[in-house]
Amino acid sequence: MQTQSARRGRVDPHLSMRDYDPEADLMLLHFGPQHPSTHGVFRMDLHLDGEVVVKATPYLGYLHRAVEKLCERLTYVQQTPVVDKNDYVAPMTNEQALNMAFEKLLNVEVPRRARWVRTLFAELQRIASHLLWLGTFALDLGGALGGGSTLFIHTFRERELILDLFEEVTGARFHYNTHTLGGNRHDLPAGFDVKVKAALAEIEARLDGYETMTLHNSIFVARTRGVGVLDGELALELGITGPILRASGVDHDLRRDAPYGAYDELKVRVAVEQGGDCYARAKVRVAEMRDSIRLVREAIEGVPEGPLCGFKPIRLVGQVKATAGQVYVAIETPRGELGTFVIASPDNPTAPHRLKIRSPSLHALSAIPYIVPGATVSDAVAILGSLDPIMGEVDR
Amino acid sequence: MKTLIDAIKSLKTTVSNVLRPVATVEFPAVIRVRAPRYRASFALTNDEHGELSCVACQACEKICPSGVIKVKSGGKRESPATGKKRQYSDEFTLDLAACIQCELCVQVCNSDAIIMVREPEQPVYRREDLVLDLDRLRANARERTAAWGTGSVLQAMQESKPRAEPKAKEEKPRVEAKPAEEPKAPAAAEGVT
Repeated sequence: MQTQSARRGRVDPHLSMRDYDPEADLMLLHFGPQHPSTHGVFRMDLHLDGEVVVKATPYLGYLHRAVEKLCERLTYVQQTPVVDKNDYVAPMTNEQALNMAFEKLLNVEVPRRARWVRTLFAELQRIASHLLWLGTFALDLGGALGGGSTLFIHTFRERELILDLFEEVTGARFHYNTHTLGGNRHDLPAGFDVKVKAALAEIEARLDGYETMTLHNSIFVARTRGVGVLDGELALELGITGPILRASGVDHDLRRDAPYGAYDELKVRVAVEQGGDCYARAKVRVAEMRDSIRLVREAIEGVPEGPLCGFKPIRLVGQVKATAGQVYVAIETPRGELGTFVIASPDNPTAPHRLKIRSPSLHALSAIPYIVPGATVSDAVAILGSLDPIMGEVDR
Repeated sequence: MKTLIDAIKSLKTTVSNVLRPVATVEFPAVIRVRAPRYRASFALTNDEHGELSCVACQACEKICPSGVIKVKSGGKRESPATGKKRQYSDEFTLDLAACIQCELCVQVCNSDAIIMVREPEQPVYRREDLVLDLDRLRANARERTAAWGTGSVLQAMQESKPRAEPKAKEEKPRVEAKPAEEPKAPAAAEGVT
């Protein structure tokens, strides 16, 4: 892959600094791990020629918590609240991915109501996640957007509306533990649809203003257009999914291509952009937010009556047993394809023999050595922000 | 020039937000309304005879993903209220410092003994102060607002039979029962956002 990339005129991520112009006055800048714009604990080593990045090397692992190993020790019923902490901006999707894998492993059918409720939660979470991204991205770009942190505070306030809705259903604002094997643990309370619609109306009304501040703002466009261009071919090579892949012109969305939950009945409009730069990624995410608002409206109208869980409720720690089989289940989270690979073994029927989480943010970060060189330091921050990495999910 | 126009347009959004109501509250003085299902701390309830409901079955201790619950049974004793023999938990500790508030202990409790309450614990200076023992857990049940979930409510909700509506009603007194005695000490500043 390396030689192919070099042939196409791409940056060589394995470039040795000794091969670079030895006369040049290069500077090594440790960017992170404790830096507000690295979105967590993430370090990049930037080799700078003046202000231009010559080589960028990402270093991961500062937030490694051995979640996959922990999942081999805990039983199937205990794992949902643990994986909640992986992608801490969209915890709902973590639970969903894990439990869908267990359901496939055990051939448990999820009732239609639970599938709709899950889809409703996933789309609400997508709006919340993208709102947080929009705010932090504006923060990354600095004071260019009518006062930098203004938008950050505004989107956080709108995101609170969605967290309030989750609190209403699950009792927790963040680490919900609401998905369980075969369905959900918490039913929608009475009058929930009214609250959802009110929150959505408010968010949708505010979104126009935020679009004016970002996508239609010439300063924002100047900072993002043509910055960090990632072509679709390289994105596919690196295993990048989600909004980043769609911004590079590849029309791929698991919600449409491999429907799960209620997506076989709800039609997703996949936003695709051709630019591959930070601007295209921003545009895709804002379009996704609008589409998610539409999907939530349809989902809350269409949630059918019926049972909420297709498996007996959790009563004992070892009540779920799987002795054989291996499955891989992937869902489309706000960041891309979140997959869970589970191997069951007869040695320990109550816990998986191996559990692997394929996180979209890890793959997104693998683009950094390719797209950051050639950019300035301030653009490197913008590129990292546009990739929307969540370090809890990268390191697990 | 275009930059200036765009900046003014952006500023319009900023200025329009000045007119919106304040979204935050001044926390210690004003406490926002918490949802009925809000889960913060824990409590151990009494049964209808005024005895501790917990029968020390250790289901919560076994299911806790963080392993923060320790229950010690005191063996079977005759109940002073009913005269029947039953098991009591003589020691019950819950370490909130490592608790992840997943509600699994509430979910598995067959005697509806452990429940979650809506008021969080106050910050402390020593870690040991975050360990809830039997006395503090029982005091929480008396003094704080119970969250809506109990073992039977959560399990009934997930059972395959579609009986969503009657359930919501039948657990209602449970929610009401606690607030009756709760409006006291920390609730003095209960305000609306």
